[in-house]
Amino acid sequence: MKYMIMMFGSQATMMENQTKEWIVEMIDFMHTLNDDLTKSGELVGAEGLADGSQAKTVSLKNGIPVATDGPYAESKESLIGYWMVDVDGEARAIEIASRVVAFIGPAGAPPVEVRQVMAAPPEV
Amino acid sequence: MSAAAGIEDLLRELAPRVLGTLVRRHGQFDACEDAVQEALLAAALQWAKEGIPDTPRAWLMTVASRRLVDEWRTESARRRREATDAALELPTQAQPTPAGQDDTLTLLFLCCHPSLSLPSQLALTLRAVGGLTTAEIANAFLVPEATMAQRISRAKQSIKSSGLRFNFPPEPERADRLRVVLHVLYLVFNEGYTTSSGPRLQRADLTTEAIRLARILYQLMPDQGEVAGLLALMLLTDARRAARMTATGSLVPLADQQRELWSSAQIAEGVALITRTLGKVPIGPYQLQAAIAAVHDEAPSGDATDWPQILALYEVLERVSPGPVVTLNRAVALAMVNGPRAGLALLGTLDTDERMAHTHRLEAVRAHLLERAGDAVAARAAYQRAARMTASAPEQRYLALRAARLA
Repeated sequence: MKYMIMMFGSQATMMENQTKEWIVEMIDFMHTLNDDLTKSGELVGAEGLADGSQAKTVSLKNGIPVATDGPYAESKESLIGYWMVDVDGEARAIEIASRVVAFIGPAGAPPVEVRQVMAAPPEV
Repeated sequence: MSAAAGIEDLLRELAPRVLGTLVRRHGQFDACEDAVQEALLAAALQWAKEGIPDTPRAWLMTVASRRLVDEWRTESARRRREATDAALELPTQAQPTPAGQDDTLTLLFLCCHPSLSLPSQLALTLRAVGGLTTAEIANAFLVPEATMAQRISRAKQSIKSSGLRFNFPPEPERADRLRVVLHVLYLVFNEGYTTSSGPRLQRADLTTEAIRLARILYQLMPDQGEVAGLLALMLLTDARRAARMTATGSLVPLADQQRELWSSAQIAEGVALITRTLGKVPIGPYQLQAAIAAVHDEAPSGDATDWPQILALYEVLERVSPGPVVTLNRAVALAMVNGPRAGLALLGTLDTDERMAHTHRLEAVRAHLLERAGDAVAARAAYQRAARMTASAPEQRYLALRAARLA
């Protein structure tokens, strides 16, 4: 079963609040986690996203799609990265998410979200 | 059939037998598996150009053995330092093939060893027994090839490190081990049957592969009722494949399927198989599910389905292999025989079952029965709850449409 594990936050907040040592450690942690998931054959994909302040919002203005900055530019809790994993079940996905939270949680990061990817479960 | 397809079929039939023989002779499942994959690749290239050799199996054995020796030669220095390792592998070398037994079977039991994780069992079975390439398996499971390669290599590593032996499971544990093998084949089948996304053709290939493997298992263990039951269940379920999705990928419920699209050849084979089996051997859940599928498949129309018969079979199934999903299905049959309210009452007994808390199936069935009972408002709410709970895209579309129809 595939799950998407989503991490929220903002680069700006991290830069303001965290030490250089923590950031280096965080990068190491992410590398190690990805290596582990690659070795276990569970990693389908993982990406980090550019900071939410760089996001464009596309919406309909007078019937025409228009791109504007924000309105999430200031959001401290926009999506900043995700892992897609293919695992035995929800318990394992939560276990992986827990490892992320155990690391970034103490630094004040928002909760991590675990969502199943739409597919067909075995017919019963 | 094209020459290339003919070669591929032959290679995939020979692959587990060659691998089985090599592993029985030398131990070292992981090294043998690599050698056989290389031999298969060499054969695919060379046979296409020069034709199939007179003794294809011997050809593969020779090439794979040569690869294995090459591998050993380059590693011999290191292996000499690891004399203890080699000593550990010696006991497997002298084992003769048990009389009348195909190495394919032993290989299948090894790939479905309970010490491996489920994803590893699936991947390894398809590669070592099914002879599929890593890329094909990755495609079928919709994951990157690197991910699947890693999963297979990990599975092989854990066979090596846990010192699993290449021998047929002895009697006391055989029944349990067979159950795992059947479960793995069943999941391969389901993975292909419940196609929801990605390249559909490749996923359908997975059901074909599961049926092929179940057929091999049945040839090797014809007296095992549950093996026959599983093969029959696959045939009788897969027979409806063409009718269960529209061209745009929407789900068509059994009652609304165009039965002329069902495969009559597969139905005939499945029915014959389950008829031969039932009553001659101890009954089991796969045989019962196959019998139920057979009753559905033999009905000329949804309305003409023999529901009392299906209800009786579910009652037996519930005794043999009780569980909330069986109860759920029995509720459907009960509703068809005694009316929707009877079915709904039985469904009520599942409301407090923890195991049903995270599946949409309970709400989906409740919605159907409420709709049949004429309670459109409650039915619509149940369809909507079910649509929110499912992780299947076609099912979600189907349930949302049913809900919208009642608005």
